[in-house]
Amino acid sequence: MKQLAYPVLLAALLAGCAGTPSQEAAIEDRGIRAAEAIPTEGVRIVEAGRAETRAMVGAAPVSEATSKTAAGVQTSTSGTRPITEKPVDSVATRGLAASTSVGKPLSDGKAQTAAAGSSAGAGVGAGVGAAGGAVDGTAAADGKGALAQDGSLLPKPDAAPSWGDLTNPESPLSKRRLLFDYDSSAIRDEYRQVLEAHARFIKGNKDARSILQGHADERGSREYNLALGQRRAESVLKALNLLGVPEDQMEAVSFGEEKPVVEGHDESAWQQNRRTEVLYQGE
Amino acid sequence: MLSRSIRRFLPLLFCFLALPLRAEMTIEIVGGAANRIPLAILPFSLTVAPGMPAGLANPAEVVAGDLGRSGYFRLLDTGDVMVPPADPQALQLSSWKARGADAVVIGQVRPLPGERVEVRFWLYDAVRQAQLTALSYTTTRDGLRAVAHRIADAVHQALLGEPGAYGGRIAYILKRDGRYELQVADADSQNAVTVTTSPEPLISPAWSPDGRRLAYVSFEDKKPVVYVQNLADGSRRAVAKFRGSNSAPAWSPDGRRLAVTLSKDDTSQIYLLDLLTGEARRFTRGGALDTEPVFSPDGQWLYFTSDRGGSPQIYRAALATGAASRVTFEGSYNVSPTLSPDGRTLAFVHRRDSRFHIAVMDLNSRQTQVLTDTNHDESPSFAANGRLLLYATLVNNRGVLATVSVDGKVKQRLSQSGDLREPAWGP
Repeated sequence: MKQLAYPVLLAALLAGCAGTPSQEAAIEDRGIRAAEAIPTEGVRIVEAGRAETRAMVGAAPVSEATSKTAAGVQTSTSGTRPITEKPVDSVATRGLAASTSVGKPLSDGKAQTAAAGSSAGAGVGAGVGAAGGAVDGTAAADGKGALAQDGSLLPKPDAAPSWGDLTNPESPLSKRRLLFDYDSSAIRDEYRQVLEAHARFIKGNKDARSILQGHADERGSREYNLALGQRRAESVLKALNLLGVPEDQMEAVSFGEEKPVVEGHDESAWQQNRRTEVLYQGE
Repeated sequence: MLSRSIRRFLPLLFCFLALPLRAEMTIEIVGGAANRIPLAILPFSLTVAPGMPAGLANPAEVVAGDLGRSGYFRLLDTGDVMVPPADPQALQLSSWKARGADAVVIGQVRPLPGERVEVRFWLYDAVRQAQLTALSYTTTRDGLRAVAHRIADAVHQALLGEPGAYGGRIAYILKRDGRYELQVADADSQNAVTVTTSPEPLISPAWSPDGRRLAYVSFEDKKPVVYVQNLADGSRRAVAKFRGSNSAPAWSPDGRRLAVTLSKDDTSQIYLLDLLTGEARRFTRGGALDTEPVFSPDGQWLYFTSDRGGSPQIYRAALATGAASRVTFEGSYNVSPTLSPDGRTLAFVHRRDSRFHIAVMDLNSRQTQVLTDTNHDESPSFAANGRLLLYATLVNNRGVLATVSVDGKVKQRLSQSGDLREPAWGP
């Protein structure tokens, strides 16, 4: 039955798909007072959304962003278009005819918009996977600075860490992930040396710009978790600021619960996911 | 049954040959009203004109789908109806009464000049042998489903005395194959269209009051940014892309402003964003987290989540003065406020024994009722009739959408391959 029906239906669909594009779908709605007599007066209601939506499904062979513009949004309109593959990393938006105006013909929702993935910061997040693990002793050995009276760290001249240290497992700078207790944004003592190392690095590299990316575990509201992750990121930002890092070299952002490092549903997974990641623009 | 679903599926398969396979969403009833109204929905009589494509969907199937899934009706088997009655003269009401029907729906579809069709339906009270409603609609073939939803609304209204919610649209996020899709579908989950896709997360879609635009949060810039997208042409723009995080968009009733959560000046605080001028005016102050704003339908209040009291609770503040007072007190976690269209009922997520449920509060009496018994419920939103709530939950660790009536009695579940989340019921 399935195999038999397929070519027949496919042929019918060829016709069907060609025929469906964007027909106007107005609905008129009148009351019938007697069983048969349909009054000529009555309210005329023209409705749009759903039928047009359906027309979209039939009429919308999507050809999205084949050319990537790093800058942003690209809009194009056309009728029936060939189907092309989408680039995997693009953001693509698509029109959906919708109108609630009474008595007006609808615009066809055929315009399509596509934006390439972000420009700035596109690389942020790469290489994070390499970080993590327990704090090792290298941080202590690398303690080349001293806390001044005002709390800022005074680097020794020979101590300027390099960009390479960010991925050097021997360097405390390769430590990028700070974990947090449940419902807490307090920085644990164990991360002091990691933060001092990053503070030294940022202050020693005026072109370095750090993205502090906060995260939450999966429990509860996504938006509230976004705010919790934001507070964890800000907590790290404030700590670095106290170590003398200028605010304009840092930005605290949050991914909430959207980017777990461990896809589990227990406390061990949740603990790994409650974190702030210290990232650098352009990495 | 199999061939029917194949027939419905194939058109999509063909038209999206180069796109990922589109699986159909399925709806399952997981609870219903105690006393369902026995209803017979007879196949509509179809008159097919020359040149009109065969295989026209019978609107009766869509009407029966809507009303059958609602949990308020028990549909009688009409499979033995060989010749559908085209009008009341052909209807033998007494035989349907004898078969146990309290009410009977019949209808007809006939072609009109041009590419238009007319749909008429009649609703009869089988017990009292009286006509309750009769309506006529003219539309195109593509409008037949929409007409069927309106017939379901009319039958629901006539038999239950309150409006149905079969004709609206829903927006939600579908995560599959590592991508995030913002989709818009009919309330019965049919006709789903992806309006935005991204490799980075999308959350918090919010319908403009006129249903023409969606605001949402996208992480495509490696941080949360609020976008507003025009549904008619797919155009969109970043309306809140300040330093830090930008999230939680909510429309003002007049559609001119968005309440958003920004972290540009302080930790997450609520701002009112003028969509014309782009000006963001700070609305809440203080070191606590304030987020998830939502306007009351009368535009007088802003409800939001704040942890200013030590745990996340729902507060409301007068838009005119900013003076805030706490609304929820039961339990240590009440978030994600949303208001019924009449402004009388607050729905929110309530944590009890480490489980997250949908709850409602009557804002006059401040009585709270927990509606769901699932454990990971999120993102409640009201249907336009104020009688149903749409929300997201997990079943076997997979995201599904669900609806529950505000009395907690009627429940449906909508699932699809992939993770469904962040639903919003639109106009």
